[in-house]
Amino acid sequence: MNAPFFKFGLFNDEVSLIVAVVIGIGFGFFLERAGFGSARKLAAQFYFTDMTVLKVMFTAIVTAMLGVYFLSVLGFVDLSLVYLTPTNLMPQVVGGLLLGFGFVIGGYCPGTSCVSAATGRTDGWVYLGGIVAGILVFGEAFPLIETFYNSTPMGQLTLAQLTGIPYGILVFAVVVMAIGAFMAADWGEKVMAAKKGGKA
Amino acid sequence: MKQLLLNSTLNQRLAAVALVLGALAVVAGDPYQGHSATIDAKELSIIVQKEVDHVSPLELADWIIKGRADYRLIDLRAEKEFAAYAIPGAENVPVATLTDHGLMKNEKIVLCSEGGIHSAQAWMLLRSLGHSGVYILRGGVEGWNDEVLFPTLADNADAATRIEFAKTAEVSKYFGGSPRTGGGPVAATRPVIAAPKLDTPAGTVPAAGAKKKKKEGC
Repeated sequence: MNAPFFKFGLFNDEVSLIVAVVIGIGFGFFLERAGFGSARKLAAQFYFTDMTVLKVMFTAIVTAMLGVYFLSVLGFVDLSLVYLTPTNLMPQVVGGLLLGFGFVIGGYCPGTSCVSAATGRTDGWVYLGGIVAGILVFGEAFPLIETFYNSTPMGQLTLAQLTGIPYGILVFAVVVMAIGAFMAADWGEKVMAAKKGGKA
Repeated sequence: MKQLLLNSTLNQRLAAVALVLGALAVVAGDPYQGHSATIDAKELSIIVQKEVDHVSPLELADWIIKGRADYRLIDLRAEKEFAAYAIPGAENVPVATLTDHGLMKNEKIVLCSEGGIHSAQAWMLLRSLGHSGVYILRGGVEGWNDEVLFPTLADNADAATRIEFAKTAEVSKYFGGSPRTGGGPVAATRPVIAAPKLDTPAGTVPAAGAKKKKKEGC
């Protein structure tokens, strides 16, 4: 039996929704346990006083990457069936910046705002309201920005295709990068804590 | 070494595991299987024997009339031939470009060519690459012409055959063909009739190329 299971028709649309709910609750649970229900914790990332966001994200990336990579190499996953979001460079750069601004101002990203709302925080609900309003505006304004939305298409791109570097080496490079980032984050937190302590 | 392991924190141990797996990845190779292929010869030979991988022209005609969109009809002929006449809803994919066409392994694919040889070869190609739902249009475009566009009723046909033919004639007219009667006991020579250029009936059949990949993602 090979993954991805849905693509090979091993379960249908209805079952896939149930699976999605289970995975979604698990995702939310671990975000909450990482402390991501709190806007203070998330915003602290941008002031370099608490690097939890970076650590959690890099841990997730490295774990998922190693898992997917080795399962594919061993033949348990057919990577060619795993959906890749097509790259449209410029619109995605602009979209990323917008999301970043929103993240710093509001203290949440879309996923963590759901976690926050689910744990009963008012700011989380306000943020969710903002997301819905944003979706509405985007939908209504879509005809105006459609040309830009579809501009600079680069297809379904992977780093290996873009750079020509073999997959295995990229995997290793990302692991090294993550460990380097962890060490830098630990060091940075100590420096910031000392600075704060010095001032107080 | 043991002391080092005992003194390390959980985080450090996890980092070490990640590093070892990462280093292993350098020599483990490409996760995408590429163009190399494996086949289960026994399974394929049974499929061939039982002809479960065939779709008859009349079956296909029925699918098109019903507006079914759960399959992709891949026409393997050269562009020029495809331009001259194509079965409604067909996509033109010359054999050489078949593996680059982005066919998904979970799609139902119906192959057609002039006769059947290219279809059969492409069928083997796709099966070996792991596509499970690959079918061959029996007789190819020639079979489509004979059975759907220009079906022939023999003079000495019995009543049951005549009733059956009346249905086929309707299908034929739907696709702009012309059913013929009185072609002799067996139509020995098939008169050369230029297949009419068909427009896809509006609203019933997905036009070629219109079938875009379903948007998905997070």
